[in-house]
Amino acid sequence: MKALLLTSLLLLASCNRGAPDIIVSDPWVRETVAGQSGTAAYVTIQNKGSGDDRLLSIGAPQPITATLHETSTENGVSSMRALENGLAVPAGATIPLNPGRAHIMITGLTTPLRAGETLKLTLRFERSGEKIVDFKVAPAMGGMAH
Amino acid sequence: MRQVRIILWVFVALALLAASYLLTRKPPAPVSGVQPTELVKFGGPFTLIGSDGQPFSNAKLNGKPYAIFFGFTHCPDVCPTTLARLVKLRQQLGSGERPFEIVFVTVDPERDGPAEVGKYAELFDSPIIGLTGSPAQVEQVKKLFGIFSKKVEQPGGDYSVNHTSTVLLFDRRGDLSGTISPEEEDAAALAKLKRLSA
Repeated sequence: MKALLLTSLLLLASCNRGAPDIIVSDPWVRETVAGQSGTAAYVTIQNKGSGDDRLLSIGAPQPITATLHETSTENGVSSMRALENGLAVPAGATIPLNPGRAHIMITGLTTPLRAGETLKLTLRFERSGEKIVDFKVAPAMGGMAH
Repeated sequence: MRQVRIILWVFVALALLAASYLLTRKPPAPVSGVQPTELVKFGGPFTLIGSDGQPFSNAKLNGKPYAIFFGFTHCPDVCPTTLARLVKLRQQLGSGERPFEIVFVTVDPERDGPAEVGKYAELFDSPIIGLTGSPAQVEQVKKLFGIFSKKVEQPGGDYSVNHTSTVLLFDRRGDLSGTISPEEEDAAALAKLKRLSA
């Protein structure tokens, strides 16, 4: 019991319990063509506060679904895995969601996303709550500049 | 007492000798310098279907270096990232005549018909040869190029496809000249493409 108490105290001490301060930048989503049901959205998340936070999930307008995913390549084979526990955004950290790595997977598109349009996604954080972000639809080539 | 001490010192000396022998002993020499590598030929004659709905034979690539990538149009991240990178690197190699062709073959012919691969290829603002085929044709071409793919059910009845994301590079003679993996730095990939198109 004593050990458990000590462990929890240590765990508490190792967490940054101050207030997180989340700033998102460069939100973009890759343009699609008719017939494509999915694409990916990318954004850089910075925590300027003194407390840790976690991106838990993403809300998208119907009929679109947005899920936090990570691409991984093993023995030359790429696969995606849902980040079911979300994505940690520790105090002071900058977490980029970049092509080929962690990304927001967009599925269920019934109409193409055209360059110049915006897609409103809701980023749900464990401590900072919801942030509605306008993701700029960028050409498949243009998006690389980010 | 003195004799015991001398005997003990002799033991210490023997132990040191044994230890130095074990530490400096050379590993056994390899039996032969030849590695039993099985030679696998990648590529070969194939027929698929082009974005115009017409048969596309590998003969159309004769005499041209090309980079071939297998993916699917519903692929959200790794496929567009890889194709965009190939286009970007090709542009870096210089304008004018295309230094190499970029070939995209779908591993999801059930969803990707000629129109789908054609429209998808246009996303990248640069000529990409989009190919599909019957499931049997695609299966045969996957085998020729050593490509793995497997459908993975997604929540909601949809599916994704895990697949080989290595780009294979073929020279003018149709021989495999190298590969580019997604994790590779642009500089290394560019050097390979330069060599390919030289």
